[in-house]
Amino acid sequence: MTDEELMRAVCNGDQSAYQAIVKQHLNSISHYAFRILGNQKDTEDITQETFLKLWINAEKWQPGKAKLSTWLHRITHNLCIDYLRKHGNTQTQDHVEEEQENQSDWQDRHEASEDGNQQEQLLRNAISNLPENQRNALVLCHYSGFSNKEAADIMDVSVKALESAIARAKRTLRKQLSGVHDAQSEETTATSGKVNH
Amino acid sequence: MKTLEEFTHILEVHGTNRENWPGELRQDMESFLASNEAAISLLEEHELLEQRLDKIVVPDFPNLEQRVLHQHLPPRTQSILDLLLNWLIPVENFTASLWRPAMAACLPLVFGIVLGNFYSFGINSEIDELDYWDDELAFLALSDIPESEAP
Repeated sequence: MTDEELMRAVCNGDQSAYQAIVKQHLNSISHYAFRILGNQKDTEDITQETFLKLWINAEKWQPGKAKLSTWLHRITHNLCIDYLRKHGNTQTQDHVEEEQENQSDWQDRHEASEDGNQQEQLLRNAISNLPENQRNALVLCHYSGFSNKEAADIMDVSVKALESAIARAKRTLRKQLSGVHDAQSEETTATSGKVNH
Repeated sequence: MKTLEEFTHILEVHGTNRENWPGELRQDMESFLASNEAAISLLEEHELLEQRLDKIVVPDFPNLEQRVLHQHLPPRTQSILDLLLNWLIPVENFTASLWRPAMAACLPLVFGIVLGNFYSFGINSEIDELDYWDDELAFLALSDIPESEAP
């Protein structure tokens, strides 16, 4: 069944059509919400609410205007933004706490930074520290695989604004990564110098 | 493609996957890449960033599907007002159904005409002819006509 047929069935109260849509889109929606919210509990709540909104507002979807996945991501996007504005940016709060913990054992982290997990954690922190619109643009374009136009539609901004946001996000992340690389190479040089000495 | 800045912008906005580069710029990008070492290292840097980004995975949500599938769904019965509004302003193919809101807009006018035709609301527009001529003669008798104008 196509998205259009499924949604028509949902409009008529067909719960099996609703279940088919949930199975089809659950992963992409929950992953998107998680990458924006950064914690599991809120992700589950927002995902559940997204599909509840789909059930209630099914007749508002206009197949000619947007794909069903785009429409669903837009609902999720709005819910996530509302949630973050109401409860504060949970990702940033986590990041700040983590940063404070990490500052005390900077040396340890530096030594362990050869480990991919450490870099992954740093990048994860850098992403969560991005401004809301840049994080959204990055997640939609890189992770969810939307085109720039679709992502702009989901975020309700112009394509130019989206492209500007994603360019800034990538610039920031590249700077962070190159900072880690520089620190790593300095560390390696210092260590090898000590060994040679 | 003229400068490294333009190349950087395309990489930042469209990523390293050549299929995502704008069609009209793809050829320029490729030739710039072939002739510029800085562009090659920039592309590698972006590829590295994308690889690192891809390594960040999302955890599993084992119970989420069951939770969403079995959540309480309110009955999908629409109120009469909703049904009327949906009929009046349909989401799909609005232009073809433009006669509906137009007709709704004309309804007060039609209602006014019908109402005005049947009810006078206390206004009596009929003129009593006799009363009218009596009044006219009384006015003429009272008016002061100069002698010079009299026949």
